[in-house]
Amino acid sequence: MEFRDYYQILDVAKTATADEIKKAYRKQARKYHPDVSKEPDAEARMKEVNEANAALSDPEKRAAYDQAGSRYRPGQEFQPPPDWGTGFEFSGDGAHGSYGESAEFSDFFSSLFGQAGSSRGAGEHRARGGDHHAKVMIELADAYHGAAQTITLRAARLDPAGHVVTEERTLKVQIPKGVKEGQHIRLAGQGSPGFGGGTAGDLYLEVHFKPDSRYRVEGRDVHESVPVTPWEAALGAAIEVPTPAGSVRVNVPAGSQSGRKLRLKERGIPGNPPGDLYLVLEIVLPPADTNKARQLYETMAREMDFNPRQGMGV
Amino acid sequence: MTQDDILTGVLLDEVALSLDELACACAVEPNWIVERVQAGFLGGIAIEQITRWQFTSPELVRARRLVAVERDFDANPELAALVADLIEEVERLKARLNAAGLPLT
Repeated sequence: MEFRDYYQILDVAKTATADEIKKAYRKQARKYHPDVSKEPDAEARMKEVNEANAALSDPEKRAAYDQAGSRYRPGQEFQPPPDWGTGFEFSGDGAHGSYGESAEFSDFFSSLFGQAGSSRGAGEHRARGGDHHAKVMIELADAYHGAAQTITLRAARLDPAGHVVTEERTLKVQIPKGVKEGQHIRLAGQGSPGFGGGTAGDLYLEVHFKPDSRYRVEGRDVHESVPVTPWEAALGAAIEVPTPAGSVRVNVPAGSQSGRKLRLKERGIPGNPPGDLYLVLEIVLPPADTNKARQLYETMAREMDFNPRQGMGV
Repeated sequence: MTQDDILTGVLLDEVALSLDELACACAVEPNWIVERVQAGFLGGIAIEQITRWQFTSPELVRARRLVAVERDFDANPELAALVADLIEEVERLKARLNAAGLPLT
C-alpha cells in the first residue's frame, strides 16, 4: 500500500491552519466536483480530495496522520506501525467518514482510521449498515430486453478480527426491461453489513447507457440517425433499419429531406407508456469518384432545374 | 449465495422510497430531508402526512447532490438548492442538445 500525501493532494503546507485546509478543500472541490468538472478523472480526484479532507479536517485524525506519516514520501510503500491506533481516540465512527462515504476511500485511509474506529460499535449497539451507491453502464438494447449484468464493486468491510479491509466483490444483477437513463435499481441487503445484529444496508445502482453514436436517448424516446441515398429520399423506398429492438422495415416517404423524422410509435424504451423511436433521415451522397458517377452528376446538373439557394435570393 | 446467482432488484419509481429509506440512502437524518422538503428544496410533495411521502430516482439524485454541495462547500441549504437547480437545468439542456444530434463535447 502506497503512502498518500494528503497535504499535497489538497495543495497546502503541513503547517496549514484548519481554515487554510477548509479553503483549499473548497477550491479543489470546485475544481473536481463531478457535476461540473471537465477534468477527465474528476470523479477519482474528487474522492482523493474528500479523503484528504476527511483526514486533515479532523484534528484527531490529522494528529494521528502526521505522526504516522512523518517518515514517508508520497508513493512510498506504507505499513502502519504495529502499535498503530494506540494513544489516539477517534470520536467519529472510524471507517465511516462524513455521510458514510468512506466506503469509497482508499485502503490507505482504511488502514489508518478504519481499524481504530472499528473497535467500538460491534456488540455495543444495533445499527443498520450503510447504503452503498454505484453506477452501472449498460447497452441501450439491455433496456429494451432486460439483461443480466456482471458488476465489480469495491467496498470496505470488517474482517472477523474487526479490522477494516477493502475487498472487491462481483455481483450478477438483473437489469430490468424498461430501465431509463439515471434510474436506480435498489438491491436490498447488498450494502454494508449491519452492526450488532442490525440489518445490512442496500445497494443503489444508478443506470447509465454506454455511449453509442447510433442512438440518442431522451427519457424513453430514442432518436436514431438513418443514412439514406438521394434516390431513396427523392423517390421513396422501403428500407431495413437496425434498431435496439432488432431490424425493422420502414417506408421512407417520397420527397424526404435530410433531418426528416419518422416516428415509430412505442418502439422506444418499453414502459408504461413506452417511448417512441424517431428515425432521423440523413441523405448521403455517393462519391463522384468514377467516370460513371461523375457522368450521372453531370447529367443531373444539366437536366434538372434545381437551385437549393433560391430562398437566399441568389 | 453463489457468484452465479442473479440478483434481482427493485426499480425505483415502480417502488418509491419512503422518508426513512431516502434518509438512509443519503446517510442523513430523516429530519434533514423533512426540512428541505418543507422549504421546497426537494420533491414536489403536497401530502401533509410525512409518513406517506414517497421519493423517486430523480429525488434521490437531487437529495444526494444537496448533501454533497452542503458538505463540500459548507453551503447553506438555499445555496445548495440553487446549485442543484442550475445543474439540473444544464442536464436538461444537454439532453435536448444530445437528442437533437448536437452533443456537447
